[in-house]
Amino acid sequence: MARFLLKRLGLAVITLFLVSVIVFAVAQLLPGNIGRNVLGGFATQQSVNLLNHQLGVDRPVYVQYWSWISKFVQGNLGSSLEYRVSVSSLLGPSLVNSLKLAGVAFVLVVPLSIIGGVVAALRRGRFTDRAITLTGLSLTAVPEFVSAILLILVFGLLFKVLPVDATAPAGAGFFTQVRFLLLPSMALVMVLFGYIARMARTGTIDALDADYTRTAYLKGIHTSTVIRRHVLRNSLLPTIAVIATQMGYLIGGLVVIEKLFNYNGIGQRIYTAATNKDFTMLQSSVLVIAVVYLTATIIADILYSVLNPRIRHAAAT
Amino acid sequence: MDRDTRRLLDDYRRNEAGPSENTLIDEFIAGEFGRRELVRRASILGLSVPAVGLLLRAAGEPVPAFAAARAAASSARIRVGVIPPPVGAIEPSTFEDQGGLETGGICGEFLTRATQSKTLLPELAISWKANANSTVWTFKLRPGVTFHTGQMMTADDVVATWQRLASPGSQALSVIGNYLKPTGVVKVDSMTVAFHLESPVSNFPYLTSSTTYQAIILPANYQMGTFTSKAQTTGAFQLVNYNPGVGATYNRFSGWWGGTAPLAGVDVTYYSAPAAADAALLGGQIDLIGQIQLATDRSLFNNSSVQLFKARGATHREVPMRVDDHNAFSDYRVRQAVALTLDRPAIIKTLFNNLADIGNDSPFAPIYGLARSVPQRKKNIAMAKQLMAAAGHSKGFSITLTTEMTGEIPELAQIIQRSVKAININMKLTILTATAYFAGTSTGPPLGWGNTPWLNAPINITDWGSRVVPNVLLTSALQTKGVWNAAHYSNPKFDSAVKSFLASSSAKDQNKYAVIMQNLLLHDTPVIFPYFYYYLAAGSKHVKGYEADALGQLYLSRTSLV
Repeated sequence: MARFLLKRLGLAVITLFLVSVIVFAVAQLLPGNIGRNVLGGFATQQSVNLLNHQLGVDRPVYVQYWSWISKFVQGNLGSSLEYRVSVSSLLGPSLVNSLKLAGVAFVLVVPLSIIGGVVAALRRGRFTDRAITLTGLSLTAVPEFVSAILLILVFGLLFKVLPVDATAPAGAGFFTQVRFLLLPSMALVMVLFGYIARMARTGTIDALDADYTRTAYLKGIHTSTVIRRHVLRNSLLPTIAVIATQMGYLIGGLVVIEKLFNYNGIGQRIYTAATNKDFTMLQSSVLVIAVVYLTATIIADILYSVLNPRIRHAAAT
Repeated sequence: MDRDTRRLLDDYRRNEAGPSENTLIDEFIAGEFGRRELVRRASILGLSVPAVGLLLRAAGEPVPAFAAARAAASSARIRVGVIPPPVGAIEPSTFEDQGGLETGGICGEFLTRATQSKTLLPELAISWKANANSTVWTFKLRPGVTFHTGQMMTADDVVATWQRLASPGSQALSVIGNYLKPTGVVKVDSMTVAFHLESPVSNFPYLTSSTTYQAIILPANYQMGTFTSKAQTTGAFQLVNYNPGVGATYNRFSGWWGGTAPLAGVDVTYYSAPAAADAALLGGQIDLIGQIQLATDRSLFNNSSVQLFKARGATHREVPMRVDDHNAFSDYRVRQAVALTLDRPAIIKTLFNNLADIGNDSPFAPIYGLARSVPQRKKNIAMAKQLMAAAGHSKGFSITLTTEMTGEIPELAQIIQRSVKAININMKLTILTATAYFAGTSTGPPLGWGNTPWLNAPINITDWGSRVVPNVLLTSALQTKGVWNAAHYSNPKFDSAVKSFLASSSAKDQNKYAVIMQNLLLHDTPVIFPYFYYYLAAGSKHVKGYEADALGQLYLSRTSLV
């Protein structure tokens, strides 16, 4: 297990290095002069040059990269060019917010879609199966901004039962915060339900058709025990991988949802940084998301290996 | 006029009034303008309330009530939506965006405040007076004003603030740069400040008002970059928390010179999507949105749960056409032809549901009441075709219009594109983000306006805020070498008229020069001014005592919630 973990961590470090190089290179390719962006169009060229020198952006690119990445690994994310405050002071709360939203969405969508997928598999070919599959597909096909607007109109404006602004007041308790996050989470559930349920359904059908399941039935084991011990344990393996890959989207890819529900997540921060050419913010945000994404993937790998020892042993050898 | 009133008026004219005040009195008595205009003009010249009352009594008019009623203090906090969030750090002297000026304006105060009726109210200054030729303006400061830091406000603070505003790097230079140098701001005594101008400006007090939104008075020991980390303004509310891109919190300031504000505080939430702010207002999560538009906030119009606050002003879009470029626009007849293709009444109906005034291709918005005798330019395709033919372009040409993704501007661009087809102009549109549109240098090579798209494209559309007086629109956008002269327009006759207009203190003279400028602009047509739209804010029915400001300032010290 330790070798397996080390191997995964090594791969994660290499991936992070590549991501850092790519994001740094892309930021360099964005048009515009940093000093000019900060000081504005009416600043003299001399002032612009001076600021560029102070910020160190007139140094060779590899020196700039090393300066940034070496500070990043020490926890110094630099200073936002737009807001003139530390990136970590802006990114920290946004990351926490994104994790909260992802957490609520995760808690809603994972059990719901796994139950939906398993039930559909157990009722294969019947009305329940078709209803779950079709509903899931239809919801996935609807763009998230459409479903989000629909939710706002129905629950926020028509019945006024849920807040349309996802940010809870300062000092709000746990349940109040969850209440404020319900609408955006429901929009995410609508997007992800069909995909995860479909994976769970396919995995369950495969497991139900497997020899070990037939053997279990022939041994006279009760259906619920067969499903719990033999079917679910095997059928959820691909589902876990799918859920892990959605973590990056749930943490950093929710720009539209965050905009519609005016939620200060990391997606909005990245979008604003990109549009306002706040390079330090952009680079650090993307790398932070990469770290979160890889962490989620490693956790999924560990879970995967716990559920399926063959994977663990194969990876370790 | 009774004998006592006549005697008092004569005393005032002899002992207190200067040439400008006497001209004002003469013009009022001669019937050049009415009571409302008298109050407005008197406020510019700094006439005291008793002096205005005396003048009105002399003319047999009722004396106005200057004090505004205010609701009792409560524990209610107002929740305000600001669209879009401030760009960059909150630093008053560098304000150039809506989010920034709204955030600073909630807690900040100015020497004077301009109202919807264009009357100038004393704020941190209590009176002001010009010398004979309006080159030196002396302001008496309000005693007993305390900064949120606990320091008392004195002339040193005002001098330090205004010297910063007149120095390089200040965004206020676009307004005052032509008239005021840092050395021109002089302390007379501990409560008096004099502004020594480079040239006469008869309406200078307006430039010290809230319309110069960078001019928030700060302590002399203010450190740049600390505006949001420490409450240090003088307003009814003090900034206690600022979270970039997310929101800001203000609490009632118990030491405010104006007494106790009705609201206990203000909670600002920033929105980057108008739809989200609209939903929050309709869903009851916010009480007020600082600025809305028909194009982006349609759900708030004709909605019984929403009240709209309107401010008729001079907020507008300019469509400059480069007069010095090597293309068809270098011929004034082509520029006139383009302007003649626009059906302006239809445009304001489509884009603003008629909540706008029609423009006559000059900065003289109807609210200024200037050059109104000059006929309005109207759609005339036949004449436009004749002009195109006379300029040798009867078969038309191709051109690219560059603009920004702001408000209704993309829709206006499409309307212009469709309109000029009638005279065979094939117009392509390049619609940039606001960041890209204003990116680059604004001064220096190649032609003096740097390389930014908004000052160098052959034809573009740019958003302009309202001004209580048209000074900056004339000097920056149209005068030769003006810093925002996107058309690169230059006409010595026009420049001379601007100078005379700014120096003249009488209504008659101002209108005379405005007519000259209006006719020159209609002939040369360097810029199309299609409309001046009303500034709109939206609130729930609980909001009372709020008045929209044409420049977008959120003045909440007299607002309450019921």
